[in-house]
Amino acid sequence: MSMLQDEDMAEVVDDFIKESKSILDTCEEILDEFEDEEDPALLEKFGQTIDRIMGAAKSLEANTTGTLTELGKTISYKASQSTDKELLTIVGAILFDLVDATKRVVNNIELTKEEKAHGLNLEAMKSRFVWLADKFKNIDRASVAIGGGEAESQESIDNLLKNLGL
Amino acid sequence: MAFNPKQKILIVDDMSTMRKIIKNMLTKMGCNDLTEAEDGEPAWKMIQEAHEAGQPFEFIVSDWNMPQMSGLDLLKHIREDERFKTLPFLMITAEAEQSNVVIAVKAGVSNFIVKPFAITTLKEKIDKIFP
Repeated sequence: MSMLQDEDMAEVVDDFIKESKSILDTCEEILDEFEDEEDPALLEKFGQTIDRIMGAAKSLEANTTGTLTELGKTISYKASQSTDKELLTIVGAILFDLVDATKRVVNNIELTKEEKAHGLNLEAMKSRFVWLADKFKNIDRASVAIGGGEAESQESIDNLLKNLGL
Repeated sequence: MAFNPKQKILIVDDMSTMRKIIKNMLTKMGCNDLTEAEDGEPAWKMIQEAHEAGQPFEFIVSDWNMPQMSGLDLLKHIREDERFKTLPFLMITAEAEQSNVVIAVKAGVSNFIVKPFAITTLKEKIDKIFP
């Protein structure tokens, strides 16, 4: 049984659904603004906003939601550092689709306590993000990280902390 | 100093879901004096007020990425204040990047935990902070 179906977690899951819906609405507003103003800084704001869902989703074993929001965060941070207007327009459209897909998954959690959303083609979405990732492959920063670089596992973080004396 | 579950703990996260998840875990570990803050800014105010009222927080568990004041900035504020130089601070983040860990350690973090995490990981980290 996943945490989404665990009766002991029902209140937390309900909160997660409400918060996620509200955050996804905010994400759409940011994308609307981006469509009008074409300011790449708004994509960084989008990344920071959708990132709020990611940690909670993964903690609740809502892995599809976690993956979608992580994709959104990664691509939006990278895109925010690009000046290619044509590509940024495509990014905006793909992020709209991603928000819509995430909303459908979250709605499904509310209705069925499962993430599987009927008619949602995650493979197609994944291939678009793979294509975008290739376009942004020379841009390092993919998160709120102050430096750049790849994400580390808890184990490697622990080793690093050990080396740093903690 | 060993971990005392009765100590006053502040949980800082802008996502109410995460605060509840952390609160559930700490409650299962026997903690019952738990306070929540929804951003670094109100948390910093609460830390100062609690100290001035003679009931200081004894342990801070904070998210990194928050809209008004990040966990890193909260940590810097805390360490810049003589009263809180040794206040234990556990940073929780989805940002598991080496550069972030180094920056947080330099700023004086007590330990670092990556989301998602299980109660056993949280307990291990707390045991390291309070040996």
